[in-house]
Amino acid sequence: MRNGIRRIGEGAEAQIFETSMFGTDVIAKIRQPKAYRIAELDRELRRSRTRKEAKAMLRARNNGVNAPALLALGEYSIYMEKTRGRLLKDAKPGIGIYAKIGSELAKLHDADIAHGDFTPANIMLHGNGVCIIDFGLSDITKSVEDKALDLLLVKRAVKKEEFKALLCSYIKKYEDSRQVLDRLADIERRGRYQTRTLA
Amino acid sequence: MLVLGIESSAHTFGAGVVERGRVLANEKRMYRVGTKGMIPARVAELHAKNAAPVIKEALDKAGITTEEIEGVGYTKGPGMGPCLQVGMLAAKTIASSLHIPIVPVNHAVAHVEIAKKEARLKNPIALYVSGGNSQILRLGEKPNRHYAVLGETFDIGVGNMLDAFARNIKLNPAWGSTVAKEAKGGRYVPMPYTVKGMDFSFTGLLTHASGLAKEKSNNDLCYSIQETAFAMLCEATERALLMANGRELCVCGGVAQSERLKEMLAGMCREHGIVFGYAGNEYNADNGAMIAYVAERLLEKGASAKLRDCDVKQRYRIETAMVP
Repeated sequence: MRNGIRRIGEGAEAQIFETSMFGTDVIAKIRQPKAYRIAELDRELRRSRTRKEAKAMLRARNNGVNAPALLALGEYSIYMEKTRGRLLKDAKPGIGIYAKIGSELAKLHDADIAHGDFTPANIMLHGNGVCIIDFGLSDITKSVEDKALDLLLVKRAVKKEEFKALLCSYIKKYEDSRQVLDRLADIERRGRYQTRTLA
Repeated sequence: MLVLGIESSAHTFGAGVVERGRVLANEKRMYRVGTKGMIPARVAELHAKNAAPVIKEALDKAGITTEEIEGVGYTKGPGMGPCLQVGMLAAKTIASSLHIPIVPVNHAVAHVEIAKKEARLKNPIALYVSGGNSQILRLGEKPNRHYAVLGETFDIGVGNMLDAFARNIKLNPAWGSTVAKEAKGGRYVPMPYTVKGMDFSFTGLLTHASGLAKEKSNNDLCYSIQETAFAMLCEATERALLMANGRELCVCGGVAQSERLKEMLAGMCREHGIVFGYAGNEYNADNGAMIAYVAERLLEKGASAKLRDCDVKQRYRIETAMVP
């Protein structure tokens, strides 16, 4: 490590540090203990999530999804390649970018990965491409419900026409999209969501 | 303004009197759930019996006569239909016989607003946790202020989950505070933990814990289900606070009576330098004073309703409700 280590962010789950290893910039995601919950639960959550996140990242990369490369893994820490660019939540991209996001999500779901927190805070834009980050709540699963929840999260966070563009390419690229869309409609019909509006 | 508030959305029939934001009375009577939970029609029947005496107690406590009431508010929803009807009917009767303005109030808005007032918070993120509801809320910008739901349960409310679990393992009375008592000194048994971003789900936890009833002690199960459920709420709330740059948090609703939940939330807020507050338990439990408090402010803004437009709505979403 040449330049030492610098904290660049704090999520609800982990602290994010920037450092360098072997001459490249590296992001370290470290899950620190949460004093508010009991130690057994805390350790188990941090350990299993670190492992699950690493697995999902690897699986995503291996299936052609634009996601950061995993470099090293500790019990509660993940070291990954630094992705450059701006988060979707801080940018105002043209509608075209949403087709790319839809196709990344299609690849994820095709590989049976449900992202778990598929929001504009976890979608990075660089140049004309997109990169999916933060697999901290991801699951490797065939569950149609989990996949539909990815769509629900992003649907709630973006504009109608943006979601439409996203969905268009998602449907084209993902063979089983019909089932997921049916489930999404199902979830939205469940009483408590009928009038839920954007935050 | 002297305002009477009537609450009857679930097991409590409450009547409160408020004048210029000050609570003069807050009386209530509750349906005893025993080991069987609530049967809406029976609860409504009891409310109908309790309505007149509870309202009279509230007026006596406030030291006023019926004729002095200047406005009346009632819970329009969310809640159980038959129960809501009783409160609405009482409010309409009073309003029409005294020729005073009436205003429907959203139950969730009332919980958050009274907590904000009691905790002296300006614009907190609110964790509203009760039997039927579990939501993380934020007040939108002026002029069209309404609460936005940042996160919520995908299935049942955390209180409902704890109550159902208490029934499944045959605690008496079967509700959350009995689970809390039974949880003391328990050991942790692994439980399913479901948080998706700022949303969460409780039915898996309920099914799993209930299925272990024969293998594990009530003590360990109560401890584990409570710790897991509250940790889920804390995590989702923490994420919402960080995402929304919240500087204040309040917790409200029936489950906010839990000391353990408040302790956990306080710990989480301390780590981030966030101000944490809540109301006393008399306002976290369902009560008429919070309805009166919101009703007074709504009426002062001229938001009274015509009698024929006064109705109840079982699934009255907070986003669609007027905020004083």
